[in-house]
Amino acid sequence: MHLAVSLNIAAADGQDVLDFGQISTFARQAEAAGVDMVIISDSLTSGEPSTSPFEATTLLAALATVTKKIGLVASASTLAHQPYNLARRFASLDIISHGRVGWNATLRQSPLEAANFSRPAGIPNDDFRRRAEEFIGIVQGLWRGWDADALLFDKAGGRFHDPAKTHVLDHKGEFFAVRGPLNVARSPQDMPVLAMSGLAGADLDFAAGVADVIAIEEPSPEGARATCDDLKKRVLTAGRTPDALKVLTTVFAPDLTAARLEAWLGTESCDGLIFALPADLSAINGFTDRIVPELRRRNSDRSAYYADTTLRAHLGLGDGGAQ
Amino acid sequence: MSARQMKLGLFLWATGHHIAAWRHPDAHVRAGIDIDHYIALARTAEAAKFDMVFCEDAAGLREANVNIASQTSRSIGFEPISLLSALAAQTERIGLVSTASTSYNEPYGLARMFASLDNLSGGRAGWNLVTSASPIEAANFGATGLRPHADRYARAREFATVITGLWNRRPAGHDGESFSVRDPLDIPPSPQGAPVMVQAGASDDGKDLAARTADVVFSAAQTFEEAKAFYDDLKARLTAYGRQPDDVKIMPGVAPIVAATKAEAQAKYDALQELIPDNVGVALLSSYLSISDLGRYPIDGPLPELPESEGMKSRQALVIEQARRDGLSIRDLARYFAGARGHWRIVGTAGEIADELQARFEGGAADGFNVMPSWFPGELDAFATLVVPELQRRGLFRKDYEGRTLREHLGLKRPA
Repeated sequence: MHLAVSLNIAAADGQDVLDFGQISTFARQAEAAGVDMVIISDSLTSGEPSTSPFEATTLLAALATVTKKIGLVASASTLAHQPYNLARRFASLDIISHGRVGWNATLRQSPLEAANFSRPAGIPNDDFRRRAEEFIGIVQGLWRGWDADALLFDKAGGRFHDPAKTHVLDHKGEFFAVRGPLNVARSPQDMPVLAMSGLAGADLDFAAGVADVIAIEEPSPEGARATCDDLKKRVLTAGRTPDALKVLTTVFAPDLTAARLEAWLGTESCDGLIFALPADLSAINGFTDRIVPELRRRNSDRSAYYADTTLRAHLGLGDGGAQ
Repeated sequence: MSARQMKLGLFLWATGHHIAAWRHPDAHVRAGIDIDHYIALARTAEAAKFDMVFCEDAAGLREANVNIASQTSRSIGFEPISLLSALAAQTERIGLVSTASTSYNEPYGLARMFASLDNLSGGRAGWNLVTSASPIEAANFGATGLRPHADRYARAREFATVITGLWNRRPAGHDGESFSVRDPLDIPPSPQGAPVMVQAGASDDGKDLAARTADVVFSAAQTFEEAKAFYDDLKARLTAYGRQPDDVKIMPGVAPIVAATKAEAQAKYDALQELIPDNVGVALLSSYLSISDLGRYPIDGPLPELPESEGMKSRQALVIEQARRDGLSIRDLARYFAGARGHWRIVGTAGEIADELQARFEGGAADGFNVMPSWFPGELDAFATLVVPELQRRGLFRKDYEGRTLREHLGLKRPA
């Protein structure tokens, strides 16, 4: 069973925010409990005004230097970034973290965003979705731009890399034209992990074809099982093996009674769980005091976790499509 | 310490600033994929009390010809805001300045990135505004051609207005030619109030924008006279924007090669120059002159007459003037230029280098310097252990940090 923690560091306006020390302590406690990854978001999906001390990808870079094993995933919007820039950022984070990084993408726009990114009239949801799909394809394409053996480092011969092992993308689509290649080396885990969340029914076939992780929300383990089975069928239809996608159910950690926790942990409803936490110190402390000991008890042999080096390895995912 | 103090920046660039740095026997060849390398460099600079480390950037390859590119280490590296965010957690005092483009970002998004870096570092962030002059970058952002110089600067001016408004909590709402932003920034200010604004454009448009918005200006000048002219010009432009001369720190680039004796320093420089393949040197020169076919002229002949480029007007003039003044062939110029990329090169002992820096600093041609070591880590170590103590002995440079934020290091006011 895979275990993740999702932490939204945005607080409603007027509420206290977490500082870097509190967030990094929390990440290290989750790491010590053998949690596969922490997923960081920096704005409220409700669209309410909020305050966050950090932007998620920059926070991830700092967290990468104070943790060793835990996967680090950041939410980043396709409206707030250009695909070339975002591909570079996650590729860089992946090298900084030695292969522990993922991007949490969504196909559902945040209601606040368009107006702050020079689209005062907004963007229709359907356009947003098609644009996000194109965006994700570009980012994954750019991540494949350098072959794993492209770098030669041949000082005497004067050959830094092999130009035959870099590839232009030359993407020309409905919303973007991107030539490439990326100016960041290939990821230590081949490609950063692509997680997707907040998906509508119409998004599922696309997500099943490209995502490594899909986060679902279901009130019961039985409902989660059914949704998981449906997604795995779609993965097969997309021509991938069912294990190429991990489906994790999001549960809101502060609401979990001991009985509910036992029910979720005791049922193989899916590939695993994501414990969602708000930017609240008492909620975080509640998680580390109450749930972490339970995870450690169940997961007492963490030798495999400490032997693995990358997020893909923690999640039991194959490589990201090396050719 | 009462006397005016020199400001020092460390200009980071993977294996080093010399185009053949990566081929040096002791250079760290995997620099572009090794975060520990950068952490070590930043800590060396911090131990030497540098004001800041600085990362240049381009959102694309730096060389269109893949065969040329493959003979340099410049096609891969870290995206600098991510890099500096990692360094923020591994350093305590040193400023962290990154380049980012006004052509390929949105102000609200970039405001969030730098505000976050500023908070992660406790008030040590700075943004070097560039408008991006490379057609290679343009092709990664849907553009079929580079936008004209004047258009890029119009966008940059609006970008700077919007981002400083967001950082300084001016009333929300902007609806302009290139951008619209409805809400205030959702990331609170750091202990230094707002990230430090840096610029390096040397064209007329660039200098005006710097005079209006920059706290720090990086420049490139070979001679004292060029450096002094730039310094006086930029400081004179400040009054038009109601600013004082001391509100902007001008820090020309300097590429020092230091050793115990001048002969030893010269030998180090010559050995590096020998590592530059002719085709790489000529390509680098072509790229800086924004022309694609310099390779078709005889390499031992003079630089041909060149049209004014849309990309880098001011840099081009600098390089051409250099060639004419010294009667250089294309190969001579390519090699000379490849060594320091048009910046000021000093080869000598710590005392000789300190003399030169002191002359420009006290002669009203610089407020400090952006130090560009030829290769890492060796030439940074040499500067930190030989030149910095000499500057400190002369009372020109701090022996310890007085403040905690980058604004405090630089002696800059908090933004209003």
